[in-house]
Order: sequence, then structure tokens, then C-alpha cells
Amino acid sequence: MELFSEHFKKDHVFARIDARVKLLVAIGLLIMVLSYKGFFFPLLMAALCLLLCIVIRVPVRVFLLRFSEPFFIVLMVTAIKFFFAGRDPLFSLDLHVFTITGYRDGLLSGLLIAARIFGAVSIVAVLGFTTAFTDLMAGLSWFRVPKGFIEILMLAYRYIFVILEDALVIYHAQKNRLGYTTIKRGLSSFGTLTGSLILKAFESSQSTTVAMVQRGYDGNLPLLQHKPFNISEILCSVLFLLAMGVAWKI
Amino acid sequence: MSETRKQWYVAAGLLAGILLVGRGTAHAMHISEGILPFGWAAVWFVVAAPFVAYGLYRLKQMSSVDLSFKPLVGLMAAVVFIISCMPIPVPTAGTCSHPCGTAISGILVGPAISVLITAAALLIQALFLAHGGLSTWGADIVSMGVVGSFAGYFTFRAARTVGLNLWGAGFLAGLLADWTTYLTTSVELASGIRGEAAFFPLLGKIVVAFIPTQLPLGILEGAMTAGMVMLMYKKRPDLLVKMRVIKAEEVAA
Repeated sequence: MELFSEHFKKDHVFARIDARVKLLVAIGLLIMVLSYKGFFFPLLMAALCLLLCIVIRVPVRVFLLRFSEPFFIVLMVTAIKFFFAGRDPLFSLDLHVFTITGYRDGLLSGLLIAARIFGAVSIVAVLGFTTAFTDLMAGLSWFRVPKGFIEILMLAYRYIFVILEDALVIYHAQKNRLGYTTIKRGLSSFGTLTGSLILKAFESSQSTTVAMVQRGYDGNLPLLQHKPFNISEILCSVLFLLAMGVAWKI
Repeated sequence: MSETRKQWYVAAGLLAGILLVGRGTAHAMHISEGILPFGWAAVWFVVAAPFVAYGLYRLKQMSSVDLSFKPLVGLMAAVVFIISCMPIPVPTAGTCSHPCGTAISGILVGPAISVLITAAALLIQALFLAHGGLSTWGADIVSMGVVGSFAGYFTFRAARTVGLNLWGAGFLAGLLADWTTYLTTSVELASGIRGEAAFFPLLGKIVVAFIPTQLPLGILEGAMTAGMVMLMYKKRPDLLVKMRVIKAEEVAA
């Protein structure tokens, strides 16, 4: 969890761009990546995003670690496509009991999916690195995402850190008392830990509501006000999307 | 041995190999960003939309009578977020995976609100941890939120109706919520990546390939959900009564 949004960078031009513009650009690029049939565009996106992260001084290690989970899926999907979803055999290995066959077209199509994953994950990672959570929420409200859902997102984001801290305290206490030495004890400790977090959520919801009501909460949280759109930002974004559209057509 | 069966064994063996080589954390429940082509990503958004809309309707209803309901849902989303990021060891695969946490939220606040909770947790994970994704948000809501929550809720209710004790009902709810989530994820994955290949044979292979992780993980999630319900029963039975998980007479008994 150390990779959470603490790597958001405020001191560069991309952080100052309107979150609504960034969301629209990100969604436009995602659609292009998802509908592209080759390697070029997704890998171009991944390279551009990596470059941007270097420019805004997000550690490359942090950027690459964002791929640890997608990488597992990439491995699995490529293996499945390579061995089970092709017609043109690349090799065949006779293991007496059964034969393993790798397919050229399956491998190609697996690698295409892998490129798409790398491109798409890079775009969303950059969006996360360059946009504050509250700005994103304000942007979503401008796009008419229901207010109730945005309020839940804001409350959840606020309390993730509080509950995570509690979880770590309980976990370390359990670990010091050998709570995870065997599978059975580990399961029991894990159940107690998660159950304690649920109880904490129930208890905190009461105290939080009391505190919020004292500060004028009437069932609706105030959201950030939208600034007017900056014409130059919109023009630059449209030009960038057009340039990417040309690359997409190649 | 038939050719199909052989291929299924190979699929299981390969994935076990990948898991053993990786020996990292496998977040197999989340469909990763970019894995689904545009058309399939859109289809799952359409499937998820009515459930999310119904969840929002229920949220509005509940929060109009109880001011603390929205903060509770927000806090539950934070808990589900943390639970579904926690790596727990899966002995048979030699790796770590994560539970869903949707069964317990379905049991406690009902499946409609649980869909919202999962949607919120998934969106934050997609934006800041690259678990799941924006384009696959709809698919992940369907598998983890809709199927996980409804399976957990209805299993728990059915088990209690036939007289199973709290631990057993919680265990079954967690187990089935996990396994049905994994089956739905497999369907989403097979339909998204199949290309020219036939759907059902590929689905079968993906299901088999997930078995080394998800079969034991379901059992672990069942035990975890049962543990959570029992802890609440011991420490705060009044909350279980308030959320209509148990009847007041059961506490007295």
C-alpha cells in the first residue's frame, strides 16, 4: 500500500491541468488503445506515459510496480492464447502422456492483448500520478456522476488511511503473538482482523456522523466548485488527441 | 485419456507453473485494465448499470431515514478496499491472492448497497493501484460486486432458512461468493480474449487454470467470512440485529 497516491506530484504543469480535461483525454486514449488492432499504438502510449513519469519525477520503480498485478494477468492470458487458442502450430512437445503444442497465431494474439494491457495501464497510472483525488471527484460530478456515489467515494478515500492504520496495528499485535505461525492460526487471526475492521467501520460511522452534523452536515457533502474551462488547455488537448488519432490510424 | 482432458491438465499445470515462478501476489479476481476489447468492456458496463442504479436508489432511501447510513457505506467501502488488497497465502499455489470481501458486505448491508460499495472500492483501486481498471470497471463490478454480493447474500439467507448456524452460513456465503465471482471473471475473460477461438472450450481451460488459486482461496474466504460474522456476534450482536442479519431472540438465546 506504500504506492498509494503519495506519488501524486503537484509541482508540474500536468497537475495544474483541469481534471475534467485530463479525464476526457484519458478516456479518449483508452478507447483508442482498446479498439486498436496492432502493437504500435498501445506501446507508443506506454512509452509516452513512461517518459511523462520521468519528466514529472515519479520514480521509474513506482511506475513499473504498477504493472506487477497486470503482469500476472499478461502471463496467464498469453500462455492460454499460446497453448490453446491457435491454429498454426509453432512447436509441439511430446511428453508421452500428452503433447504440448504452441501456436504462432495464439502467441501473436496473446502478445497483442499484453501490449493493450501495458498501454491502457500506463494511461490510467499517469492520470493517477497527475491528478489529486478531490479534483477527480469534482471532475466526475461535472460529468453528472450521481452525487451519492461521489460522496461514498470521498468518504471511502478519507477512511482508507484511518482503517489501514488500525489494520496494521492489529496485524503487528497478532504477529508478535505468533498469530500467523500456522495456516489455522493465520486464518483465525485474519478473520479477527477483518471482523475488527468491520466493527470499527460501524462504530466510526456513528461518531463520524455526529462530528459531521456538528459541522453542518445535512446528508450531502459539499464538493469542489468547478472553475471555468481554460481554452488553451482544451485546444492543446484536442490537438494532442488529433495527433494521437493520426498515430492510431497508422 | 481424451484430448480435451489432456489439454485441461496442461492448462492447470501451466498456470501452476506461472504461479510458482511468480510467487508474488496474484490479484486474479480483478480483470486488468486493457484486457477487454472496447465492445466487451461496453457490454459489461451496460450489464452493471441497472444494479448500480438500484444501489443508488436504495442508498437514497436508506440515507433519508438514517443520516449515518452514507458514512457507514463509505467506511464499509474503505474496509472492502483494504480486505481486497490484503495478500493471503494460498498454500496449494505457493503464492498469495486476495479475498473479495463482498460476501460480508452483502450480508451486512444487503446486496444492492454492496454493489455500490464494491464499485467505489474498485474505482479507487483502478485509479491508484492499477488493480482492475477504468475500462474493465463494468466487468469487475459485475463479477465482484453483483455476482459476489448477491451470491453471498442469498446463500447466507438460504443457509439460515434451512437452520444452519451462523458460522456455517457465513462460511458457505463466503465460499460461494468467491467461487461465483471467479466463474464470472472466467466468463468475462473468455469472452473478451477468445478472438477466433470457440468460447466454451476456452472458458473450460480458463476455469481449470484458475483452480490452483481460486479453489483454496474460496475455502479461505469462507472461513474468513464465518470468522467475521462470529466476531460480530460475540462482540456486537446488537449490530447484527440492527442490520437484520439475525433476530433479536437469537441474541437472547
